[in-house]
Amino acid sequence: MPRIEKFDKLHHHASLQEFIDLAIEFEQVAHDFYTDLLPKISKHIRYIVNELIREEEAHIAKLQELAKRRDIEGALQSEIENMTVDRKFYDGIHLPELGENPDDQEILQYAMMREFIAMVQYSELAEKSPPGPVRDLFQFMANEEIKHKNDLEALYYQIIHSGGV
Amino acid sequence: MSVQDVLSPFKAWKNLFRDPVTIADPINDRPGAARYRGFHQNDLDKCIGCGTCEEICQNGAIDMVAELKIEQAEGDSGLRPRIDYGRCCWCALCVDVCMTGSLTMSNAYTWVDADPEEFRFTPGVDKKDWDDAELGYHRPEGLHLTPMTRVEMQEMEPEERVANFDEIVCGYSVEEALVEADRCVSCGLCVATCPAHMAIPDYIAAIRDQDYEHGLELLYDTNPFSQVCGRVCTHKCEDACSVGHEGQPIAIRWLKRHITENVPREKYMDIIGGTADDTGKKIAIIGAGPAGLTTAFDLVKMGHNITVFEAQPGPGGMARYGIPEYRMPYDDLDHEVSIITEMGVDIRYNMRVGKDILMDQLRQDYDAVLLSIGLHVGRSTRIKGTEHKDVLKAVDLLRDITNGIKVKVPKKIVVIGGGNVAMDIARSMARLQKQKYGKVDLTVTALEDLQHFMADPEEVKEAGEEGIEILDARGPQEIVLTKGGRISGLRTWKVISIFDDQGRFSPSYDEADEMLHKANMVIEAIGQASDVALLGEELTEALDWNRGRLSVDAQGRTSQSWLWAAGDCVHGPDIIHAVADGHVVADSINAALNEQEETDAKD
Repeated sequence: MPRIEKFDKLHHHASLQEFIDLAIEFEQVAHDFYTDLLPKISKHIRYIVNELIREEEAHIAKLQELAKRRDIEGALQSEIENMTVDRKFYDGIHLPELGENPDDQEILQYAMMREFIAMVQYSELAEKSPPGPVRDLFQFMANEEIKHKNDLEALYYQIIHSGGV
Repeated sequence: MSVQDVLSPFKAWKNLFRDPVTIADPINDRPGAARYRGFHQNDLDKCIGCGTCEEICQNGAIDMVAELKIEQAEGDSGLRPRIDYGRCCWCALCVDVCMTGSLTMSNAYTWVDADPEEFRFTPGVDKKDWDDAELGYHRPEGLHLTPMTRVEMQEMEPEERVANFDEIVCGYSVEEALVEADRCVSCGLCVATCPAHMAIPDYIAAIRDQDYEHGLELLYDTNPFSQVCGRVCTHKCEDACSVGHEGQPIAIRWLKRHITENVPREKYMDIIGGTADDTGKKIAIIGAGPAGLTTAFDLVKMGHNITVFEAQPGPGGMARYGIPEYRMPYDDLDHEVSIITEMGVDIRYNMRVGKDILMDQLRQDYDAVLLSIGLHVGRSTRIKGTEHKDVLKAVDLLRDITNGIKVKVPKKIVVIGGGNVAMDIARSMARLQKQKYGKVDLTVTALEDLQHFMADPEEVKEAGEEGIEILDARGPQEIVLTKGGRISGLRTWKVISIFDDQGRFSPSYDEADEMLHKANMVIEAIGQASDVALLGEELTEALDWNRGRLSVDAQGRTSQSWLWAAGDCVHGPDIIHAVADGHVVADSINAALNEQEETDAKD
């Protein structure tokens, strides 16, 4: 099923399992994007993209683990009615072009922007969700994005703001 | 019976409430006097293992020994004093000289043990009953056997210096240097901290002996950039100085400079020069900065033939193109480099590797190649408006000023950055403003608060003295333009905090505290990177990298056996680190060439 159809389904009638699957898919899109970017950039800055790929893999693994948890298994099957989802979330994963040969700063700026948008969207989803496992899921995801954004900011400061001689 | 007789018993009774002046159990309890010089105590948290106690002990009763539980660290030798009570005379000189006040003497004086070896012990490490005794002999407050205040370096007054690029500091006179050198206790903690392990106590002793030529010999034994480091070294050695614990550290950098100034230039070559027989080996060095030229200096001494390829028209790398002349006079730098060229090193200026000659060519023509290309590419914040033509990078401007290129000097300038490069460009532009308009109108804004500035505190202080406004904790948001497209200023937000509790970068802003710093030009000085484009795609792919920098082994060799790398491009910006790197790489290249020769001979 195309992503847009899946996404639209969230407006009406979706299970927690579907939300998790979609979140995994979103992370997979980012993962694939960075994987495609890898051969386009100079080797000396590839470590940044490799770290981004690893981070996305970690997100996917966490989501998959979450889906298997016995304590939320029941909740996974529960259905959510009338969930309002802002389409900006989808915009967030439609990543802008980085150009043919981006430098380390562009890659980091891009990644931070993506994490920021994802964080905002997961937070909004959490706010709009009724208390329960769905809200917990979105809060969990928002936290993950915040953590990653913070890591990227620290890396950005270390690389770009080296302070001079 | 008189009234007196009636009251006398009461007079006697009142003594019941007085403290006894006798000892209740004199056989078992006979404490020493309050300031008695009894058995030693050592506060291990304060002791830095400087060994001045060992040095001063007239009886040879103290040995500095390694203790398993105590690790060597910057400014701490890891050694601790072991005292032999078979020799100690309890004179307390060790306590009086102790640089941190860690060594004291308790008022305990009785100690019975059948084993004589027990009376040689390490206070603080070997636990004793008197370890926590409060009474005893402590160095009287304010008593120091050496002066705690350093001899102030004379420098030009701010109003005078801001109008030109003349060197600010005047240098020590012989009398001043002698007084300052006399403060050194020769503990040697600085030697371990200096990346090049310069023989600091020895060259300071040479000043005391007024033997400057020997001093120069000692300097150049480990540092062919001694004139440079005597002016602009980051002098981390002074942070480790034991005198600095209770006073001002020895002015090691200024004493080094003093030596270099007190040996006539014509004598330098006789003292430093001298090369081995020609080995016939050729080494190419890319970049004539401290790392490259230190390597060249060492290798030419070993008899190798060295060619240095330098993209700029002059030598020195960042020491010349990143540091303004008021801190590092070109004449002194040129003299430093002239020694290296006189020894036979060939420097080819205006030769940009990757354009004028390719890496592949160097690989074919030379037995080894060193990459010491520094950090000459300025970083940008890339906030909105930074693409404007009047938003410039500090390193580019500093390079132009050094090369005598006329730069645009607007009336109002804002600099972004809190490192030394930010201070250097701010102070350089302030001088140009003063020359052009008769006044300085320049603001430095930095993300960090003053406590976290990467610039040397003295640089920040001097910038302020020269009329530069320094606004810390301001986060740049946008370069604001007029309707006509000219720069009107830099918009910033107040930075509430920049690091979190764990010291991680985590800025938070107070958006309500917004400022527009009016300016016609904005200069970015936030950081630098290496221009590795000269390597070409194929070599870049073949090399191993470590988080954006060339990956090298402990000897500075890259994953390509013919290529070494050293200096700022590998280990970050610092001249003395670059010098230390140069020595390591020179030894490695020499060893590799010798090994190759032995292999060839066998074949």
